[in-house]
Amino acid sequence: MNPTRVFALGLLLLCAPRAGEAQRVSELRVEAGTASVSQRGFDAERAALLAVLWRRPSESWTFLTSGNLTYAADSLAAAQGVAVVDLPWNVSERLRTEIGVAGASFSLRSAGRGGNGNFFARQHFVGPTRGSFVGVASGRTTRDGIGSDSWSVDAGLWKRFDMLYLSAALTHFSSSDWPLLFASGVFSSTDADRFALLDKMLTAQVRNGPHDFTLNFIARDGLGETDARNRTMTASGTLQLTERVALLASGGRQLADPLRGLPQADLITLSARVSFGPKPLPVMQRSVIAEAGVLAFAGGGGELVVRVLAVESMLVEVAGDFSDWEPLPMEREGSFWVARARLRPGKHRVAVRVNLGEWRAPRNLARVRDDYGGEAGLVVVP
Amino acid sequence: MIKHRVLFVALVLASVSVAPALRAQGSRVLNIADARARAAVEREIAQAEARGLPVRPLIAKAQEGVTKRATGERIRVAVASQARRLEQARDLLAPSPSEAELVSGADALAVGVPAPMLRKVRAAYPAGHSVAMPLDVLTELVARGVPANHALEQITQLMTRGATPTQIASLGASVQADVAAGLTPDAALEVRARGVMSLLPSPAAAAALAPRGSRP
Repeated sequence: MNPTRVFALGLLLLCAPRAGEAQRVSELRVEAGTASVSQRGFDAERAALLAVLWRRPSESWTFLTSGNLTYAADSLAAAQGVAVVDLPWNVSERLRTEIGVAGASFSLRSAGRGGNGNFFARQHFVGPTRGSFVGVASGRTTRDGIGSDSWSVDAGLWKRFDMLYLSAALTHFSSSDWPLLFASGVFSSTDADRFALLDKMLTAQVRNGPHDFTLNFIARDGLGETDARNRTMTASGTLQLTERVALLASGGRQLADPLRGLPQADLITLSARVSFGPKPLPVMQRSVIAEAGVLAFAGGGGELVVRVLAVESMLVEVAGDFSDWEPLPMEREGSFWVARARLRPGKHRVAVRVNLGEWRAPRNLARVRDDYGGEAGLVVVP
Repeated sequence: MIKHRVLFVALVLASVSVAPALRAQGSRVLNIADARARAAVEREIAQAEARGLPVRPLIAKAQEGVTKRATGERIRVAVASQARRLEQARDLLAPSPSEAELVSGADALAVGVPAPMLRKVRAAYPAGHSVAMPLDVLTELVARGVPANHALEQITQLMTRGATPTQIASLGASVQADVAAGLTPDAALEVRARGVMSLLPSPAAAAALAPRGSRP
């Protein structure tokens, strides 16, 4: 199997988790770089990389799609695409569902023609500083006319300590893709037509503003009649040079992924990312939901009512032109924080903040930039 | 030369008068920690006042910056930007826009409403009738993602058919409710504008009923 395909799909996987980032305005990212890829039986090889990622978020869902193109000296291009919808639940701000499909098509001189299609669904339980998830996935790969199928279930949890994120996850694979797994050192003690694997993954990530550094450790063992023992470490980082330009680097061993048809490979990548589109607006953290409405008076004017659902919050404030931008503390009413203010007819700008964090627009109002790198919500009172 | 001296004197007088005005209002502009930045902000406001622009929206902009813990320099830049938009709005909404109209015009420009559209909104109501509310609704719709051309067309059509500012403001509120219910802003505007339009007299009747130059 050609190593370029490995990287192209690897980059795809790097992109996919970004679907879960906070909601922003529509964004286009272009990444270009180079990689060194080596596999068992293949010399290390350089590949040129191009990835395009487009994300369209709204307050109620996030849609992400991306495509990758890879070119190496002994191969033709490989192209991949992924689409992910990220849906928060209306009944609880702590629940979020990700559903995604991905596909790859390749025509490689060295490894023939083939393709992969896979599907995944994952349910997240998200708190302000910790969370967990369970998921299922299924994939089918065809190489030179020979098909194989795979499925997996996974579960994990994470916790945040200021800038440090720690997570642990377990993934159980079942796959009939024996050529892929055999090439990565996975054997079966019998002639069983399926392999069973258990991955134990530990991840540590440090985030400082837009910069991040991630270390990932995976221990893979065979289950039942499957004989496998792999230990691998990968590292990756993002250095945001300007608002729109970032440097990305990663390195380490990627284990074979039967769901996506990815063979095991040692990778070193370096790329530059350029973001296009409007400057991203900062948004409310996921665990906070703020809404505002106006109860209009018959003779003109109205009462602004702002409600914020912010669990585990100490202080919730509202400010706007109606208060001369003086922060006003909101009051707890049941599980909501509430503020009320009388408004004259006309346009008013409103923002809320939680625990002295950033000022954000209530999610149901029109959002405008505020000249200070942030945002405010607009409400027009009849 | 004389013109420059007059401008200079006006600036000096204005900068002398603005600081006490800020203090009198208990303005938090004075809370900018960096004395040099604070003076620069006050100077921006004074210069704007000397150019005949309203001071209140500029003080509000500075206060917003103080609340949002912006640096003094960033506040100065924001105040200067707002002053530029107010000045542009004054030209576009000539001959005699009110302070509310200037603020509405400046905010419309800030969200990306093309400048010529302000003239079209102004022209849709007779002189003397405030276009602040139509501009506010236009701003809100554009901020929601309605194409500016479409929003302008609907609003000016309502204005020329004699819709009151309250009716136009209600249009914005209805669109917001529809968007919350799942409609796209564009579609919501189309539907709601038709609803308001159905309550208004036909263009011919509106022209016949309204005395020349005295549309609401």
